[in-house]
Amino acid sequence: MAKLELSGVKKSYGSTDVLKGIDLTVEDGEFVAFVGPSGCGKSTLLRLICGLDEISEGTMAIDGHIVNDVPPSKRGIAMVFQSYALYPHMSVADNMGYALRLAGTPNGEIRQRVQAAARILRLDAYLDRKPRQLSGGQRQRVAIGRAIVREPKVFLFDEPLSNLDAALRVDMRIEIARMKERLGTTMVYVTHDQVEAMTLADKIVVLNAGKVEQIGSPLELYNKPGNRFVAGFIGSPKMNFLKLGKGCGNGSYAVAGGSVTLPVFAHAPVEIGIRPEHLTLAERGKNTLSGVVAMTEHLGSDTYAYVALNGAEETVVARIPGEKTFRPRQEVGVEVDASVIHAFAADGTAITSSGNARVAA
Amino acid sequence: MFDLSSRQAKTIFCVALAFIGFFLFFPIYWLVISSIKGNTELYRAVPTPVPLAPTLEHFVKALTAGKLPMYLGNSLIVSGASACLVTILALYAGYSFAKYRYAGRQPVMLFMLSAQMFPFGLLLISLYPMMSNLGLLDTRLGLILSYIVFAMPVSTYMLYSYFSQVPDELIDAARADGASDLRIFHTIVLPISVPPVVTVFLYSFMWSWNDLLYSMTLIVSDDKRTIGPGLLLTYLNEVNSDWGGAMAASLLASAPIVIAFMFLQRYFIQGVTAGAIK
Ligand SMILES: Nc1ncnc2c1ncn2[C@@H]1O[C@H](COP(=O)(O)OP(=O)(O)OP(=O)(O)O)[C@@H](O)[C@H]1O
Ligand SMILES: [Mg+2]
Repeated sequence: MAKLELSGVKKSYGSTDVLKGIDLTVEDGEFVAFVGPSGCGKSTLLRLICGLDEISEGTMAIDGHIVNDVPPSKRGIAMVFQSYALYPHMSVADNMGYALRLAGTPNGEIRQRVQAAARILRLDAYLDRKPRQLSGGQRQRVAIGRAIVREPKVFLFDEPLSNLDAALRVDMRIEIARMKERLGTTMVYVTHDQVEAMTLADKIVVLNAGKVEQIGSPLELYNKPGNRFVAGFIGSPKMNFLKLGKGCGNGSYAVAGGSVTLPVFAHAPVEIGIRPEHLTLAERGKNTLSGVVAMTEHLGSDTYAYVALNGAEETVVARIPGEKTFRPRQEVGVEVDASVIHAFAADGTAITSSGNARVAA
Repeated sequence: MFDLSSRQAKTIFCVALAFIGFFLFFPIYWLVISSIKGNTELYRAVPTPVPLAPTLEHFVKALTAGKLPMYLGNSLIVSGASACLVTILALYAGYSFAKYRYAGRQPVMLFMLSAQMFPFGLLLISLYPMMSNLGLLDTRLGLILSYIVFAMPVSTYMLYSYFSQVPDELIDAARADGASDLRIFHTIVLPISVPPVVTVFLYSFMWSWNDLLYSMTLIVSDDKRTIGPGLLLTYLNEVNSDWGGAMAASLLASAPIVIAFMFLQRYFIQGVTAGAIK
């Protein structure tokens, strides 16, 4: 049980600043996911929390005690690495018991705790095997087991499922969700996978270029992204962005393929974002843009229609329920639901609407 | 251009291989057959390509009559000790170069490797007065220490390249588990480094075993003499005519290395790290 507090944490390697001041609180028992593009510093931040690398500036505290100079093993933190990092010459049992052995735990107790962890992870039958005799999923479970036996105050996971195939990944995701229920320990989880972050996390931290872009619950980030970066990063398929052209008064703006009428905003937006599920393919009408279908993807339950709006190079994607087929380059109208759009200022920050949707001109 | 699977290419390769093979193996073949020919057959004007009446008399004589067993024993002690020393030193040096970042790391490594660029004879010129001042001339210890110069640079480099490939995450995992740096090296890295360690040990053993120059110069007493100078002084002089004995002794002298390679070769190909990553 532990609360993590990072304030003003910076990390630089030589002259390159990798983390540029991170403020973050992870509450006791919370499951926090770090997401962000490759190279944004997720692993680096996790290594700082673990104590594998030194913090260049700022402080990190566990339960109110500053631990900047405390070695990893004394922090009560266990880390699961992306590559599993199992000790290849040791049996599964020895891998899991290594930390306890180093800590001088009596043999009987080590055996007990290893067996308990093995039961949770359904590894009982493999305790005598070497890592190379295990499948990818089993190796991943051993890596998690190695963390569990230490009974840490905080678990750190660095993309633990990224080496697994899709089916196994779903299984392991459920396994981790169960583990979270069962142990109730504070967990920090780095992932590239939207679904993992959305389904597992209580709180998501979006990182970009060494800075925190936004912190919030999965739905908060999805429904109220604080800026254009978060809006584009969270959600799959990605949010559609439309540059706003000249305003024609009455809240109406020219955009590619036609014009849209927007609610009143505190400042004038320069760009709007619309989630794929908020676009519908419709006949000509209010707030409807025209274009041609460039491509469709059928997912069974949904269809993604990529529409090239007239006068624009990029396509917008609409997510429509069911199976729907289009002729190649079929002309369609794309209706924008103006009540659920996101608007952004020139610097990328989100602008909240200050009134109700205006009646269309 | 040049098609590697064409008839012409294959012919060229075969001829080249046969040519190289002849120069590599014919002397060894000659050594073997000469060692098992009786003296009368050995001194015929036209040598027989295959021994007519094979005999082991030369081997028996070499092992019982002369000082060969003593020379072999000396070599075993000196080469074994120096190979152990080189392996241990190269292990720590290589690991430090591979996994730690500190000022002067690259220059120190290059400096060490540069020792390999000087002819060993040249190094002997400065080693000799050193050993003399330390009172280590004509001692096994002196020879063991001097032998380090043969294999140390390359051994360090070989282990350095191997350790560079040991995943950092493995070391980090052990560190997070609470192991100290030395402990990580001894309980995690060393156990998965058996193949390169064996390779380095054999490599340095071979260098000292095959040495003639250093042993000849630094050792004077016959009872500490190693196999190289031993063979030379016994068989290569004006009065010697025992060619069969020389051949048998040479074979016996190369036996330890050949046998070691036969038993340990599986370590060269085995990948012990399988299963650590992914
Ligand atoms: N030891 C190091 N020396 C110099 N730069 C480093 C070092 N480690 C990481 N970096 C740099 O720090 C940045 C962040 O790296 P980090 O591994 O934290 O990214 P990440 O967000 O985990 O990316 P990914 O999603 O690809 O794993 C990268 O640009 C990387 O080049
Ligand atoms: Mg990473």
